[in-house]
Amino acid sequence: MKKNILLIGGRSKAKALSLSLVAKGCRVTVINNSHEDCQMLADIDKCTVICGDGTKPYVLEDADASSMDIVIALTNADEDNLVACQLCGKRFGVKRTIALLNDPKKTDFFYAMGVDRVICTISAVTDIIEQQAFMEEMTNVIPISDGKIHIVEVEISQEDPSVSRQIWEINLPKEVIIGCILRQNQTLIPRGNTRIRAGDILVLICGGGQEKYALLELKGGA
Amino acid sequence: MNRIATGKGGCKMTGKKHGYTVVVGCGRLGAGIADGLYAEGEDVVVIDQDRDAFRKLSSAYGGLTVEGNGMDLEILKSVQLEKADTLIAVTDRDNVNIIVSEMAKQMFNVTKVIARLSDPQRSCVYQQLGIETICPSVLSARQVDHILNHDTELISEA
Repeated sequence: MKKNILLIGGRSKAKALSLSLVAKGCRVTVINNSHEDCQMLADIDKCTVICGDGTKPYVLEDADASSMDIVIALTNADEDNLVACQLCGKRFGVKRTIALLNDPKKTDFFYAMGVDRVICTISAVTDIIEQQAFMEEMTNVIPISDGKIHIVEVEISQEDPSVSRQIWEINLPKEVIIGCILRQNQTLIPRGNTRIRAGDILVLICGGGQEKYALLELKGGA
Repeated sequence: MNRIATGKGGCKMTGKKHGYTVVVGCGRLGAGIADGLYAEGEDVVVIDQDRDAFRKLSSAYGGLTVEGNGMDLEILKSVQLEKADTLIAVTDRDNVNIIVSEMAKQMFNVTKVIARLSDPQRSCVYQQLGIETICPSVLSARQVDHILNHDTELISEA
């Protein structure tokens, strides 16, 4: 079953997102109130573009909002994203609404107003910048569950203290497990007696902000 | 006594007295409402992003003016919105009026919240929160209708 997805507002975000969604086989409709942006978006193959204000009921009707599985509001104005999601949820019965939000202080309020998922761009970006700045070793950090849990990718090099040790010998924090090891195109599910080798890429699941301590154990350093 | 007396753009309000009202948006409507409420003895705060907007208030206005964005939580906290009896959202943008009204209801438990919406189609969504909406185009249309009907009555009488 193809998912119907409606994107409201957003210029480059809408473009990148619709390209990726179309490639995944979703039916994508985009609403944008700038004529220029609409022309740019219309170049995307298999993407329906509607020029108009996505916070107006008749524009949403034109976009057939009631047939949408997911609505994502991407404008730069918090109030427009909230109103678009509320209209889609309450008036058009859309099951899943997602809003971008600039002001992190309004996250709980947006949830209380019935938006299903709130993505605060500023805190998401600052979180990533902070992690990248402090932890050079990490190649990839993905926050999930509002940043309570992080999935971290770590590459082990020859001089790291964890090399040639079995996993049970490494004193990892309680909230951290090694979920998976990538070794030369092979995926290993590690056990306590699995020995770590140089060149392994470990995928860690970390709770409670413990990734720093896990890294200290695996890669050493101050 | 509910006839509208206009001083300098001020409306005479005949509501309850000595409450605290926050008005967001100091356009002609916002300034008029603030003037009227202040003249009635209410405590009034008007919020607007544009300092020049406060020039629309009459010289008799003695309430507070706060320069800032009415959607900003810090601004709403700084005017102690939780102590207000009424919030009136009358900026020139519907969606701003909606979000401010919803914040007032949801986060500050303001009893009476009134929003101006230029597009009546959106009002259905917000009424269930207990937000009162006024729609100038609907009011104007009703008035035009009234005048037209009144005129035809006169014509038919003549």
